Amino acid sequence: MLVVQGIIDGILAGGLYALMGSGLTLVFGVMEVINFAQGIIVILGAYLTYVFATHIGVDPFVTLLITIPIMFALGYGVYMLLLRPIKRDRVIMSLLVMYAVAVVIEGCLDLVFGGTLVQVSTPYATSSIHVGSLVFPDIYLMAFGLSAVLLGVLYVILYRTKFGRSLRATTQNTTAAKLVGIDVDRVSATTLGIGVGLGAAGGMLYGMTASFNAASSYDLISRLLVIVILGGFGSVWGAMAAAIIMLVIEDVISVVWSPVWGQTIFYLVLAAVLLFRPQGLFGRRMARAQ
Amino acid sequence: MLVFGDVFAGYGGGDILRGVDLVVEEHSLTCVVGPNGAGKSTLMKLVSGLLHPRVGKLEFNGTPIGKASPRQIVKQGIVQVMQARNLFPELTVRENVELGAFLVSDSSLVRKRYDEASEMFPIVKDRAKDRAGALSGGQQRMVEFARALMTDPVLVCLDEPSMGLEPRAARTIYQSIRTMHAAGRSILLVEQNVRAGLELATHGVVMENGRVRLEGTGMEVLNNPQMRTLYLGGTIEEGKVASSTGAHAAAPPGAP
Repeated sequence: MLVVQGIIDGILAGGLYALMGSGLTLVFGVMEVINFAQGIIVILGAYLTYVFATHIGVDPFVTLLITIPIMFALGYGVYMLLLRPIKRDRVIMSLLVMYAVAVVIEGCLDLVFGGTLVQVSTPYATSSIHVGSLVFPDIYLMAFGLSAVLLGVLYVILYRTKFGRSLRATTQNTTAAKLVGIDVDRVSATTLGIGVGLGAAGGMLYGMTASFNAASSYDLISRLLVIVILGGFGSVWGAMAAAIIMLVIEDVISVVWSPVWGQTIFYLVLAAVLLFRPQGLFGRRMARAQ
Repeated sequence: MLVFGDVFAGYGGGDILRGVDLVVEEHSLTCVVGPNGAGKSTLMKLVSGLLHPRVGKLEFNGTPIGKASPRQIVKQGIVQVMQARNLFPELTVRENVELGAFLVSDSSLVRKRYDEASEMFPIVKDRAKDRAGALSGGQQRMVEFARALMTDPVLVCLDEPSMGLEPRAARTIYQSIRTMHAAGRSILLVEQNVRAGLELATHGVVMENGRVRLEGTGMEVLNNPQMRTLYLGGTIEEGKVASSTGAHAAAPPGAP
């Protein structure tokens, strides 16, 4: 039964990580930018939720109406001001720029909130549903549900809108996208906005399920990169599947063996998969057709 | 219609185009040929807005387009089919063709043009739901042509459309170019198959070392004795008029 509980916990937590990782992989798919700041962006989202929920008394889920637009604007602005001017060595330079963005945000958060661990508290944080001996924490069920809804919205945007088609086209061939009249800069800026916005939503859920401070971003970005690499860089659906697989493995190992080994296995699985499938579990050998 | 006036352009490591003067007339089929490194593809990148001239004049129907973005160029009525295969491989054939009308907001007009394009290129209808990346090289070219026509362009630029294709597929491509031209489009064609390209062309242009060296009708250029020299490792003498064929060599920069 412990294994079943581990699988349930892994699936529920995997939904949350899928949400946080989808923004990272989406941005890479369109721009070939490794958004090293995604971890701290999640934490920024968590802090924004913390401020609105704790100091103003807004329900964390309602704060998304404020935090997602703010974070979208942040992502859009970062692209237009810092990434668009990069003309050469784009992959490396953009990685450095996003690292710098991460350091600046982390510094600001440290300055404002200090290093004390905080958590977004809600009335439903400790309640849960029991089915036999299995436990389904309400907060994780809500987190999983919101992740599913937001990823569903992302699916509709990607596959049922003109913007989504232009985004998928840009992902596959930037030059051809330009030649049919797609404004690649606008698509890229919007994509980074969406990625950061998803980070805000992920941050809200993360902040309700774990205590955090600015330094928590390092553990987060490590895990998100593992998930995105395993799923295949640029593949949103790969990231979702990899998030659930990895969290299930980690949680099962944690309950049947030890939490320490649960985290270690996370990275051992990455090493093993990359030995046999360098493109990740669901990625193509070439992430982008040129 | 399209005018290059003493254009210099390159990629940062020096100019590839060094004083190009060229006019592409309305309703013409202008074919540009020349040895590797002549600057043909660079010329095409200027027209599509992927590259901008360092100096010189580039105008389309009297409007300067030297600093225009690819999107603005498409809005002007110029489309380009690039040298390398340039479909979106994971999208369906239909999605690829419809993306050609990305800037057209009237959906009924998009449908109408899609129907016209599928009539001209049956592969679009036959393989509409297939992934574009699953098509053969020749078929992909056809889909690219169909996509290019979705904006109802005034000028269609084709950069080495037969490259990498087996002879039968290449012949089909040439026939499609004839059809597009017969339908009233102006065509600017860069072609590595010199004979095939110049036989199609109403106007032939030879480039060498980043400049236009020879111009005339397609057949005049093809039959010019200097062409053989050029393709056997020689060079075309500047300012020399080949009166026996009618084709004339372009004057050197700064000449009166």
